[in-house]
Amino acid sequence: MSRTVAVARMQLINKWTYIGWPLTILAASFIMSLAIFALIPVQEGKYGGGSQAPMWYFLVLGIQSMTLVFPFSQGLSISRRAFYLGTLSLFSLIALGMTGLYLLGGVIEKATNGWGVYGYFFSIPWVTDGPWYSTAAFFFVVMMFMFIVGFWFATIYKRWGTGGTVVSTVGTGLVLIGIGALSTLLQWWESIGTWFAQQTPLSLSGWAALLCLVLAAGSYSTLRRATP
Amino acid sequence: MNQTIVEARNLIKHYKDLNALDDVNLSLSANRIYGLLGRNGAGKTTLMSILTAQAFATSGEALVFGESAYENDAVLSRICFIRESQKYPDDFQPQHAFRSAALFYRNWDQGLADRLAEDFQLPVKRRIKKLSRGQLSAVGVIIGLASRAELTFFDEPYLGLDAVARQLFYDRLVEDYAEHPRTIILSSHLIDEVANLLEHVVVIDKGRIIMDADAEQIRGSAVTVSGSAEKVDAFLAGRSILHRETLGSLASVTVDEVLSGRERAQAQEMGLELSPVSLQQLVVRKTMAGGAGASATSGDFANDTLEARR
Repeated sequence: MSRTVAVARMQLINKWTYIGWPLTILAASFIMSLAIFALIPVQEGKYGGGSQAPMWYFLVLGIQSMTLVFPFSQGLSISRRAFYLGTLSLFSLIALGMTGLYLLGGVIEKATNGWGVYGYFFSIPWVTDGPWYSTAAFFFVVMMFMFIVGFWFATIYKRWGTGGTVVSTVGTGLVLIGIGALSTLLQWWESIGTWFAQQTPLSLSGWAALLCLVLAAGSYSTLRRATP
Repeated sequence: MNQTIVEARNLIKHYKDLNALDDVNLSLSANRIYGLLGRNGAGKTTLMSILTAQAFATSGEALVFGESAYENDAVLSRICFIRESQKYPDDFQPQHAFRSAALFYRNWDQGLADRLAEDFQLPVKRRIKKLSRGQLSAVGVIIGLASRAELTFFDEPYLGLDAVARQLFYDRLVEDYAEHPRTIILSSHLIDEVANLLEHVVVIDKGRIIMDADAEQIRGSAVTVSGSAEKVDAFLAGRSILHRETLGSLASVTVDEVLSGRERAQAQEMGLELSPVSLQQLVVRKTMAGGAGASATSGDFANDTLEARR
C-alpha cells in the first residue's frame, strides 16, 4: 500500500507535470478565449471550446506515464501493480481537482454574466445545463477517459510494439466503421439517434465511465506482462 | 558458505531468432561483488532483467531471496537495477530521480547521493533529457550506490564516463561496500578496469554461462608460455590450449591449466618464459575458444566451481 502511495508522490515531485502544466494550459486557453470573446461585439452568450485544452494534455500524460514513468518505476523495482494503482489514483485526484476548478469557474462565469463580456468558457451548452453533479461527473469522466485512452495505447505499444499499435488502432477503426455500415444496412440510425437524444449528460457520463472501466481493466492485464 | 540470494535454474529466454539465454544456471551469495562479463549482446542485460522481474523468461526459474521477484514487493524493495538505457520521466531532473529513489529505498543515503553528484559534477537541476551520455550514466550510478539495496545491479555503468569519473565510481563503490556490505553485480565488458574489484566472475557468451568462478581462483588458472615454437609445443603437449600465437620461430601459447612448481622449473630450464594471463585476456580467449566448440571444457569448469562452493 505504501508503495502505491509512493508511486503517486513520486510523480508529484516535479509539480509541473501533473499540476503546473494543466493549470498553465487552462489559464492560457482561458485568457485567449476571453480576449476573443471580448473582441466579438455581440451582447449574448458566446461559447468556445477552450476548456477542452487541458484534456489533450491528459492524453499525452497518459501516454508518457506508460512510456517513461513505467520504465523508471521498473528501475526502482516497483511492482507493476503498485505502479498501476498509484498512477491511476494520482490521476483520479488530479481529475477531481480539475473538475472542482471547472465547477467553480462555471459558477463565477454565471455570476459575472460571462466575465462581463458574455463569454462562456467553462459552460458548454447541454453538458453543463443539468445539476452540478451531472456537470462534475461529465468533466471528471472525460478527463479520466483521455488519460486512460493514452495509457492504454501506450501499454499496447510497450507490449507489442508498432505492429500491435497499428493493428489495434486500425482494428478499432474497422470495428467502428463496421458498426456504422451495419447500422446503415439494418436501418438502425433512427433508433441510435433516438437513444442519443434520450441521454442526459449524466447518463452519458455513466456510459463513458463504463468504457473507462473496461479500458482500465484492459490496460492492467496488458501491463502485467509489459517490459520496460 | 554464505547465504544464497540469487538462484537461476535452467533459465531460457527465447527471442524470434535467437536464444538470449540458453539454459542458465547460477547461484549468487550474499555480500560479494560479482562481475557479469561478456560481449555486447551476450545476454547480460537480459539475465539481469529476468532476475529482477523486469522481463520474463521463456522457461526456467529465477529466485531472489528465495522467491520470485515478480509483483513481489517484499523482494523488489531490496533490489535496485538501473539499466544502461534507463528511461526517466519527461520533466525529471536528477534531483527528482534521487528524491523518487528515496521514497522506495529505506536505506537511501541522501548525503551520499549529494556527495556523488558533486564528485561527478552532475548538474542536478538540469532536465535528464538534456544530459550527456556520461551524466546520464552518473545518474544511474548514484541511484545504484545511494539506494544501498541489498542486491544492486550496475549495467555497464561507465558508458560515457571519462577516466576520472570511472575511477571515482570504482573507488566510491569499494568504499561504500566496505562500510555497507551488500551483493553487487557489475555488468561490464571493460574487464581489466573492474578486474580488481571483483570477488567472483561470471562470464556469459551467447546466452550461456562459460565461466563461473572466484576471481582468486581464476587469476592463477591460466598461463602463457612463450619461447621457441618447438620447445613450447614439446612442453605443452597434451595440455588444454586456449590460444596460440606465432611469430617466426617463436610461439606464445596460453593454456587453461595451473602449472606445478616442478613444471615451472622445468620450463625455466628449457628457456621458456611464463607470464600470467589477465582476467580480460582469459575471458577473451575463453569466449573465442567457446565459439570454436570448446564449450564442453568450460562447462566442466563451471560445474567444478559449483561443486567446490557446495
